[in-house]
Amino acid sequence: MDLDTVKERAGPREFSPADDLPEEYREAATRMIEFHANSEIMGAYLERPFIRHAPSIDRKLAFSAKVQDEIGHGQLLYRAAESLGIKTREEMLDDLANGDGKFLNCFHYPMDSWVETPMIAFFVDGAAMRRQATLRRTSWEPYAHAMDKVCFEEGFHVKHGEDILRTLMTGSRKEQKLTQAAFETWWPRIIQFFGPTDDQSTHHDFAAAVGLKQKSNDELRNAFLDQYIPKARKYGLEIPDEPRIRERDDGTYEVVEDDLDWDEFFAIAKNEYEPGVGQIEGRRAAQEAVEWVRETIDDDATTADGHAPQAAD
Amino acid sequence: MAFDDPDTLEGRERRALETLVTRLADDQFVLAERYTEWQVRAPTLESDLALANNAQDELGHARLWYDVLEDIGLDEQDLVYERDPDDFRHSTLVERPFEEGDWADVVLRSYFYDAAEAVRLAALEDSAHPKIADRVGKIRSEEEYHLEHAQNWLERLADGESEGGDEDGHERLQNALDRLFPHALTLFEPVDPEREADIVELGLRDATLEELGEEWLSIVLPYLESLGLVVPVDIDEDDPEFTVTDDLLPDERGRDGTHTDAWYDLYDEFTHTYRELERSEPTKLMDTPQ
Amino acid sequence: MIWEVFRQEESGEYHTHCGNVHAPDREMAKQFAAIQHGRRKPTNSLWVVPKAEVGEIDADDVAFGGTTDKSYRWATTYRTTGEDAREVVESEDEQATAEQQRGDA
Repeated sequence: MDLDTVKERAGPREFSPADDLPEEYREAATRMIEFHANSEIMGAYLERPFIRHAPSIDRKLAFSAKVQDEIGHGQLLYRAAESLGIKTREEMLDDLANGDGKFLNCFHYPMDSWVETPMIAFFVDGAAMRRQATLRRTSWEPYAHAMDKVCFEEGFHVKHGEDILRTLMTGSRKEQKLTQAAFETWWPRIIQFFGPTDDQSTHHDFAAAVGLKQKSNDELRNAFLDQYIPKARKYGLEIPDEPRIRERDDGTYEVVEDDLDWDEFFAIAKNEYEPGVGQIEGRRAAQEAVEWVRETIDDDATTADGHAPQAAD
Repeated sequence: MAFDDPDTLEGRERRALETLVTRLADDQFVLAERYTEWQVRAPTLESDLALANNAQDELGHARLWYDVLEDIGLDEQDLVYERDPDDFRHSTLVERPFEEGDWADVVLRSYFYDAAEAVRLAALEDSAHPKIADRVGKIRSEEEYHLEHAQNWLERLADGESEGGDEDGHERLQNALDRLFPHALTLFEPVDPEREADIVELGLRDATLEELGEEWLSIVLPYLESLGLVVPVDIDEDDPEFTVTDDLLPDERGRDGTHTDAWYDLYDEFTHTYRELERSEPTKLMDTPQ
Repeated sequence: MIWEVFRQEESGEYHTHCGNVHAPDREMAKQFAAIQHGRRKPTNSLWVVPKAEVGEIDADDVAFGGTTDKSYRWATTYRTTGEDAREVVESEDEQATAEQQRGDA
């Protein structure tokens, strides 16, 4: 199939591994899905310590289940990416370990305290879910199928995060103050989740033209602010003065881009931001430490009746 | 028997119940804490999901056991978040920290524990305490998966060849065994000999610790040997009765309130947020177990 | 040799099991399946899989989803304030349905 045909046919769930797709499509889709999968892993990496820090058995169970789900999403997404035939899961996980794999800006920051957990588990997950819901209509069928399952589970994550926020904001004054401070730290990063405005986004045009991406950065940022500013206020959080956000007459929002730190954002995008580098390195060390197990089971790998598995298609 | 009406329990009955159930709950709670360290660190995405499942199961079981003690006025706050670390009674097997990447440790530890759990739960099936007997059924079904999971891994690692002269799966398992076996034996050590006798006399459990320990050894020793692993005990073929002597046991035994340093670090970590936020009550999300 | 057959009705949908065919090899299994399972019902694609390669684990082997309370992993357990995002509501509804079906099973 040539690129013009792809653009012509590009509709929801239009292309599957049975189609002969041009390199440009397969590479763009791999880049996008790999980024998504990596983000699941690095988000889980950031949240794992809070399974232990959770202040009750029930919260601990929920946190463990949530981190487990994120790894499960990684599993689904790497497979959706792998089925494009550009990279194997192992190559993608290795690239994530060696610092070549890219992932979401928010997961490059450290998270030290329980009061920060709803910033990821409610706001970032809420933002991610806005985007993921639109990706159920992406043109790469395996990606859309993965999104069906991810969206099914993700409602638990967002509500779990919101419930933690609710507990904190109805708790002691100290808890409320600490939570507000964490919100002020995280708010600009959360706004940057959606990237720069559309005219500055590098990959958007092509991804939209071939149906991989369904909504632009601006549309998604708007949809997020529209839903989550009222939520934040409802729990008694004050929206920080910066970045300045203006509500237009048509109900959409304009974020003053100059109020955000884009040098930091683009350093992060290149995996050059310090806390993120440490987090990548921490995960690399963990992955390397169990390399011997993967070698052991790979050597033994056989199919059900004991013969060697067929090479992948 | 009075166990279906906790308000009528006498001192001796209460103490026996508390001793039995605290031990069950503490083992599961601390084991779950250690298992969760493997989340986002397991060898593959699939094995990560499976071990996380087992961690949640164990934590759910701890929750069910702690809840039994609510009937005698002890709640999660007393039992987990505000209890003195020296008053925890889990076996030292479950509190040991993991070396990074030591998957052999976690699967062997899991096997030791799950095999013991199967034996222990079987002896609680007809407990005089109706809540205990009832919960055993639900818990056993989940524990069966854990035991199979551990054995599946043990069999694959025990066969494992290494590439390029690295330590192979078999050697790693043997090292873990040498380290963990003394701690595993503490699973059957008494909290307090008098109370241990009461637990059986009052019908809370239908076997003594010695009997449970012997049964466990009769299962794990031949199995580990079949994998080519060496268990550091001499067993006389003619007299297979095996007695756990003091020199086989580690200095810290958990059951008697002595713990290794790693436990105090772990305790500080899991109570950290509760203390930092000056909480006085752990958040409940789920309904009280029936 | 028996091959299990999975049919996808339309592009973008899931392949679901629809039956099997006897065939000596993959090529013939595909040919037979196209007629046996694709000639009437709407079909966009078929997968054929050797039956011997299908592993099965069933409810007798394992208690799927566990036997103790796992309500912490369902959105319906959590209390929130104000209107939830559309996709969160959708996810919660799907979860409530799945919970219901698990309960009925």
